[in-house]
Amino acid sequence: MTAAVIFTKKEWLESWRTHRFLILTVVFLIFGILSPLMAKLLPALLKGGLGGVKIAVPTPTSLDSWTQYYKNMTQMGIYVFALMLGGYVSQEIQQGTLVNLVTKGLPRWSVIIGKAFVGLLLWFWCVGSAFVMTWAYTAYYFPDTRSPHVVLAFVPLVIFGFFFLSVLVLGSILASNNYGGLLFTVVVVALLYMARMVKGWQHFNPISLISDNMKILVGADALTKLWPAMVTAVVLALGLFWAAIKVLDQKKL
Amino acid sequence: MTCANFEELDNMNANWEVFTTYWPFLVPLIILELGLMLAAVIQVLRHPHYRIGNRAFWLVIVIFIQIIGPIAYFVFGREDQQ
Amino acid sequence: MSILTLQHVSKSFGSKHVLRDLNLTVPTGSIYGFVGENGAGKTTTMKLILGLDRADSGDIEVAGEQVRFGETATNRQTGYLPDVPAFYGYMTATEYLRMCGQLTGLRGTALASRVTAMLKRVGLASASHRIGGFSRGMRQRLGIAQALLTMPKLLICDEPTSALDPQGRTEFLDLLASLRGQTTILFSTHILSDVERICDHVGILHQGRLQVSASLADLKQQYAKPQVRLTFETAVQAKQAATLLMPLQHHNHVQQVTQSAGEVAVAYAGIYAAAADRILTALLAVRLVPLTFSQEEANLDQIFMEVVQ
Repeated sequence: MTAAVIFTKKEWLESWRTHRFLILTVVFLIFGILSPLMAKLLPALLKGGLGGVKIAVPTPTSLDSWTQYYKNMTQMGIYVFALMLGGYVSQEIQQGTLVNLVTKGLPRWSVIIGKAFVGLLLWFWCVGSAFVMTWAYTAYYFPDTRSPHVVLAFVPLVIFGFFFLSVLVLGSILASNNYGGLLFTVVVVALLYMARMVKGWQHFNPISLISDNMKILVGADALTKLWPAMVTAVVLALGLFWAAIKVLDQKKL
Repeated sequence: MTCANFEELDNMNANWEVFTTYWPFLVPLIILELGLMLAAVIQVLRHPHYRIGNRAFWLVIVIFIQIIGPIAYFVFGREDQQ
Repeated sequence: MSILTLQHVSKSFGSKHVLRDLNLTVPTGSIYGFVGENGAGKTTTMKLILGLDRADSGDIEVAGEQVRFGETATNRQTGYLPDVPAFYGYMTATEYLRMCGQLTGLRGTALASRVTAMLKRVGLASASHRIGGFSRGMRQRLGIAQALLTMPKLLICDEPTSALDPQGRTEFLDLLASLRGQTTILFSTHILSDVERICDHVGILHQGRLQVSASLADLKQQYAKPQVRLTFETAVQAKQAATLLMPLQHHNHVQQVTQSAGEVAVAYAGIYAAAADRILTALLAVRLVPLTFSQEEANLDQIFMEVVQ
């Protein structure tokens, strides 16, 4: 176990020194501020765009702000995250940086454990800091009571990150180059979106974790409906990490 | 004054109005974006080798395309040092 | 006693047989030169010994312990210097060695003093900047530092000198030679003079098999004969000389005559003066005068050429 701790420390240092942590933080903070701003500006932009034609544009509420937040997180945030972690495992194998460590007695599984742990921390930090930003601005600029379950709506997003990360790590290890892992991830997510068409599967589809957040925001019981999807996501993620370990075990270093 | 000038003035006023209304959003946004850009510019200048492109190319990308530009550099342009 | 044995090891990539039924034994305490052309399978052999790649068949034992692919148990005994060692560019040399040391179970002051001692030994004590800015030679030295950090019983170096300049090579070979008696070294190379400088045992890998494995002294005695090398002004003259000397082969000191372009090499046995006398007498009888006439001791190049033919 100590080897895993040592490797995790190394992962953390890597994220810090290669500025991965810093860049992700800044980008997600920007997303966090942008979400309420977009909600605020959208009516004005609509008015301006229609060239003075008077139509009834409703005043934005906290719901619009949170809608923007989840849009930004799920349509931009996860892909920026995926880009920054694209070569997460493949690079180590390509460049041969694992050779010295493995011949010093580092068990291969601890590579995956360390990467998963630091990746998850990064994800939580990223969506979390954006969340806090959006929350603060929303509370100040849209002081209404339309969004009662702010934190509950956020929970599925974090769990989805765990699943997303496992796909990214497995993809990165299967691919022989940096972008193959990215492609794998995008394909998996696209397939999951397509699987939403199948009615009976919806409650189990991990993608529901990032598409039903607004429902939870207004009514807490929507979260209970997501239980199957959360369990599926976590079980799948554990399975994918296990698969990643098995694949790495068979890799020539 | 011509009509065009009036419009310009009007635009400027509008921009200023937008800024006074939304400065609590805009100031941190601008600081973050500038920070990201500066970090990328420093990296571009410090490391003479790039995976693709050259220094001038990346400087233009990083400075003129907000957010996406610096990310693109950090993901595709920065050479990994072993 | 042997620290490393490979028995009937085979490995192929696709249809290409890299190693065919390889048997290799490295005696404890030796500096073993593992020689072969580029692509002969030296790196593959080493990766198999370290459990980094899977052998198709055969047994590998390090210090009496079986090597298994993907497992690291036997790596406790070994230190490995890859041909191009890869590090994390964002760490300093000290940080990197500390991490390596921690992986092997070193802690506290023992770790700190070992790291400092190693850095000093390889001449990187004053390099405080990050590895990303290191030169090729510095990386190679950091590579040997990480390989020696655990004071392994067996040190495996893959082509350690090929990337270095002459001065770096000399320094590196001196460093390896200074380890004689402390650790067994298996080191691969295609530079034969390096082997002659520090190795006491040699194995020649060719076409996936170990063609020769013996102590350097035995090998010289067994294979190479001292030579007289003559050069002539024209190839025609050389050919003439060769035809003249051919009949002398296999008796009266002269062993073997070979000719290429303007050069004739005559392998001899016994006393030099006697052999030289025979050759010169024969040549002068027909007034065939060589441009140069020199005597050469047996060297590894000859042996290598002979084995590889």
